[in-house]
Amino acid sequence: MVRYTSPINPAVFPHLTLLLLGIGIFFTAWFFVYEVTSTKLSRDLFKELVLSLVAALFSGFGILFLLLWVGIYV
Amino acid sequence: MAKLKYSFLFLLYVLIKCESTNVDTISSDIRLKNVDRTVDISSQLVKIALKVTLENTGRSPVKNFLVAVEKSAKENLAFVGTKDYNNKDLRLVETSVKGYDYVKLYRVELKEPVNGGGTGIFTVDYVYTKALIPYPNAISQQEDQLVKYTGNIYVYSPYYIASQKSTVVLNTKTIEAFTKLKPFTQQDSNIVYGPYTNVGPFSEKELNVHFKNNSPFLTVTHVERLIEVSHWGNIAVEEVIEIEHTGAKLKGPFSRYDYQQDHHSGPASVRSYKTLLPASASDVYYRDANGNISTSNMKVKKDSVELDLRPRYPLFGGWRTHYTLGYNVPSYEYLYHSGNEYLLKMRVVDHIFDDMQVDELVTKIILPEGSINIKTNLPYPASMLPISQHYTYLDTKGRPVISFTKRNLVENHIQDFQLRYTFPRLLMLQEPLLVVGFLYALFLCVIIYVRLDFSIHKPEHQHKD
Amino acid sequence: MPSTSIARPENGQNKGLFNNTAGLSTLITVTVLSLAWLAGFASRLFAVIRFESIIHEFDPWFNYRSTAYMVQHGFYNFLNWFDERAWYPLGRIVGGTVYPGLMITSGTIHWILHTLNIPIHIRDICVFLAPVFSGLTAIATYLLTSELWSRGAGLFAACFIAIVPGYSSRSVAGSYDNEGIAIFALQFTYYLWLKSVKSGSIFWSICTALSYFYMVSAWGGYVFIINLIPLHVFVLLVMGRFSQRLFVSYSVFYIVGLLMSMQIPFVGFQPIRTSEHMAASGVFALLMAIGVLKYLHSLNPKGQWKQLLILGGMVAAAAVFMVVVLLTYMGVIAPWSGRFYSLWDTAYAKIHIPIIASVSEHQPTTWSSFFFDLHVLVCTFPVGLWYCIKNVNDERVFVALYALSAVYFAGVMVRLMLTLTPVVCVLAGIAFSILLDLVLREDDLPMPPVDNDESKNLYDKAGKLKKRTHEPAQPLDSGLGMNVRSGTMIAFMILLMLFSVHCTWATSNAYSSPSIVLASYGNDGSRKILDDFREAYGWLSQNTAEDARIMSWWDYGYQIAGMGNRTTLVDNNTWNNSHIALVGKAMASNESAAYDIMTMLDVDYVLVIFGGAIGYSGDDINKFIWMVRIAEGEHPKDIHEADYFTERGEYRVDSEASKTMLNCLMYKLSYYRYDSGGSPPGYDRTRGALPGNRGFKLTYLEEAYTTEHWLVRIYRVKKPDEFNRPRLSLAKRTVPTSNTLSKKTSKRRKGLLKNRPTIVKGKKVGRLE
Repeated sequence: MVRYTSPINPAVFPHLTLLLLGIGIFFTAWFFVYEVTSTKLSRDLFKELVLSLVAALFSGFGILFLLLWVGIYV
Repeated sequence: MAKLKYSFLFLLYVLIKCESTNVDTISSDIRLKNVDRTVDISSQLVKIALKVTLENTGRSPVKNFLVAVEKSAKENLAFVGTKDYNNKDLRLVETSVKGYDYVKLYRVELKEPVNGGGTGIFTVDYVYTKALIPYPNAISQQEDQLVKYTGNIYVYSPYYIASQKSTVVLNTKTIEAFTKLKPFTQQDSNIVYGPYTNVGPFSEKELNVHFKNNSPFLTVTHVERLIEVSHWGNIAVEEVIEIEHTGAKLKGPFSRYDYQQDHHSGPASVRSYKTLLPASASDVYYRDANGNISTSNMKVKKDSVELDLRPRYPLFGGWRTHYTLGYNVPSYEYLYHSGNEYLLKMRVVDHIFDDMQVDELVTKIILPEGSINIKTNLPYPASMLPISQHYTYLDTKGRPVISFTKRNLVENHIQDFQLRYTFPRLLMLQEPLLVVGFLYALFLCVIIYVRLDFSIHKPEHQHKD
Repeated sequence: MPSTSIARPENGQNKGLFNNTAGLSTLITVTVLSLAWLAGFASRLFAVIRFESIIHEFDPWFNYRSTAYMVQHGFYNFLNWFDERAWYPLGRIVGGTVYPGLMITSGTIHWILHTLNIPIHIRDICVFLAPVFSGLTAIATYLLTSELWSRGAGLFAACFIAIVPGYSSRSVAGSYDNEGIAIFALQFTYYLWLKSVKSGSIFWSICTALSYFYMVSAWGGYVFIINLIPLHVFVLLVMGRFSQRLFVSYSVFYIVGLLMSMQIPFVGFQPIRTSEHMAASGVFALLMAIGVLKYLHSLNPKGQWKQLLILGGMVAAAAVFMVVVLLTYMGVIAPWSGRFYSLWDTAYAKIHIPIIASVSEHQPTTWSSFFFDLHVLVCTFPVGLWYCIKNVNDERVFVALYALSAVYFAGVMVRLMLTLTPVVCVLAGIAFSILLDLVLREDDLPMPPVDNDESKNLYDKAGKLKKRTHEPAQPLDSGLGMNVRSGTMIAFMILLMLFSVHCTWATSNAYSSPSIVLASYGNDGSRKILDDFREAYGWLSQNTAEDARIMSWWDYGYQIAGMGNRTTLVDNNTWNNSHIALVGKAMASNESAAYDIMTMLDVDYVLVIFGGAIGYSGDDINKFIWMVRIAEGEHPKDIHEADYFTERGEYRVDSEASKTMLNCLMYKLSYYRYDSGGSPPGYDRTRGALPGNRGFKLTYLEEAYTTEHWLVRIYRVKKPDEFNRPRLSLAKRTVPTSNTLSKKTSKRRKGLLKNRPTIVKGKKVGRLE
């Protein structure tokens, strides 16, 4: 039995949050701009799916670390 | 048939019952050569410490002996513990002896038996709550609090005691009255009874002391201790505490003028008290239903965090307050693991104030979602409550909550419990993936939405707003 | 500049350009709106940062308490809630006397969050509801303004409303009140109304009615909508702008809105029974009449229809008016309420309803507070208004009416500043947008100016709205030099910067105090929290009997109920004037007369606020004259306002004060054993005087608790068998009386006295005077 520490050092939560959320927001914005600007004809489903997946992944982890940063230990 | 079945069950029950309650006999080999007793009634608790020199007059070694509690004090007993001369804790088991059903008895199991003719030195600690009765039971703001203690002049024991001496520690010189049984001496703030020689087993003689005691008479009527374990490196502790001043009630008005005039005013009242938190505690909050209680100070010391808590108003007799105190501690202080097996070691109850008495404690431990094989190991018996579920951020099927409750606790009950459980580490990814999935679902909704067309007639040219 | 790129037409012919522009402008719009939301949210958090997440002031405590009740007991139990803790012994039917929109909103949010396993306490939802809704208000304002003018103007308006002090004064974190969500509902309803007037579609009209329904459920200010929209319709009719679109949108909105507004228990049949709502139905009847005439006209396009139309319209208007007057006279329709009258005659409340006049936010607005709440907007919004009137169309008539009426109401009552603020932001947004268009036009030559092309298509058809803005128009005057342009730009940028600085400053300093927690600053700049209110309420909640009844002035009723969880006699829902007057009378009477009232009302504790020790000016002695006035209104025989002034008509508390003043209950409870407050001891810092009556004793009450800074004082009313017991007879011994009874016999007399405290009364008063 050894002492249990968090898999990620709590000291880096803020940095991780900012980094991940920043990337996530960038991709989210890209996704929405794409949705707005593309027309029915020019829309590419694969691109949409990939963009949204990347955005969701980064934002999701970013939100998790945001929660941890502000003291909501999930 | 049914009758037979029931009688069989009853028989079984009786058998089990007999098995579980111990029945002992009082060994005639044991006699107590000398007993030094200290009765500390300077706080709100009655703390009795015995120093027993036990003599085995028989041949066979003695493996255990009995300690007894008077019938009158049975209800007030909060804690009893024994130590040997190495200051090591000895195991105590509640037991009974035929013919002495009215006496509460404990069997002390010795680590090293006392051989025939030999002696052993042991200490026995008793802590009683609510044994000091304020008399008069209502006082005005400026009066001192007088309390009455009723006890036993002799040491209560199932054995023959050759010589005994009792010191009553009062911490005050203002003594209204006390039982005078020669030989006794009164020195400073102590009363010494004895030595009395050759006192038989189970002898009782009432001891009364009526004296001034302005120490805080605070009772924690209810405390709910919530421990939330997160595998992201944090353990959150929250205690919801209800406190009542159980000393002499306040009679007549409360005058702010008198209270402000000098600091000795309201001697029986409690302005503030100190709570000790673990040294690693951070993010401490102290609040009640109406919000933050701004009157508190925090001092970080080497081995603890000292909180100077001031309730919103001074506590006079009969006044109550309740609040919530919470803090975070890092997980490496209390959580251990090897692989997927985890062990949590934390205190069942923590310090609230010095010489505290707790009427009822409920401790709840919230484990991470997905923990299985939970095994609890408590340092002393408490009634386990059924495992319930707790739902908080990003939970799906709920976190298991282990809870237990115990009544009548004192500082001696601040001991660690052990909780073992299994938690697959991969489950930690469940929470972020839940968020990711949720966001992805939202994006998919948008993707589908832009492909839908709700217009009744086709517009002449395309434009989306 | 955001406005330049956004004002660009959204659907040009060139596909590639269109794609980029639309994407960019959407991105910028979304970004600006989210930043406005964020800024609005952040600037409202001063109270939380300075103090804590706590419900503010008075009314929010009631809202919080009822929300908590609803969350705990469910919606239907909330609607049927009879609160026996308020207005003892009358009680209050809460479900039928509140606008439940606020509670339902936060209750719904709470429910959703808890369904998603997000355990946020209902208090935190209540605290942060108003800041969150301020973001929604910004979006609604954006929509409204872009409907009126352009998206650029909309963004300006959204940014203004997000931070303007006139709105943030009512929506800081913790100020959990109806206005917090109502302004959003107001703006959104107006947006939808304009949308429906523009399009004439039933869909938008139904949406308007739904939004109106939400507004009705949230705030009594819905009367403003139900009078402004008919006014708009009426003015349009007068201007000869009748159209099928107007007909459809108003008739649908009115009928659906009427039916839905009547579903709110508190509103009930008011929309058809009170004068406040009659304008709407009158306009509805008028619109119908004109619609019929138009229809007849369409059947036979020839003939003298124009004259007939005008005549018929006037006859219909007169007939509607007569019917309303007749119905009012017959008593079918309730006449205007007192609160409504006070909108027209500012002196009305002072004479007839002192309880309304006693509230500081019901006073007429000063010029300085216009500037304080709106800053630069108050100077620029007339520009926007002028442009709207100059380039008038159906919607701009509306905003002009909105502005004019709101300006009037804001001038009458400080509180109604709130309804002015949104329209000021809208118009100032338009003004700034026009200015930027003007200044930046040459830099962006291909961009058509937005302001003058709209005037050309005033009578455009429904469904072709989008086309309107992309007709390129020629720049009219391009005579501005480069230096003038940049100079103007810089000046306006500085102005806007000053505006945001002022907004932040005003929000943080003037509007972010929770008022139940006070902060005082020491000489060294250190901050000290004075938490006396919560100390007292905490004491009440823990150390008094569960059913104890607390008498206090009505201001503190909601707080006692919310924080102390005890029964109150009167509270901030001032529905029963005579009950309040009775409490006022008890406070204004001498101790023995007050004791009679207090036993009559089963009072256990009396709570007074006394600021003399710390110089808190909002205490009960300063409010006392209103208590006297309200009491005098109901009990003119017993209470006379003049008795409480000195002979020279001054309101004083020192030795010059009148005898009645020095012996009234409020005075005694405030100054009983008060000896703190610096030198000389017992000095009253608030009024800067040494109390005139000191060292007195209380017969019928005893001090139960006084907070650390003497701010809240709680007294226990003694039971009839208590106030003449031997312990008190010490006081009797000091006064040689004709009473020759021995101590023993006087003890026996205690039993006899039980039902006749009047004997004691005479004696005590005689001793004091």
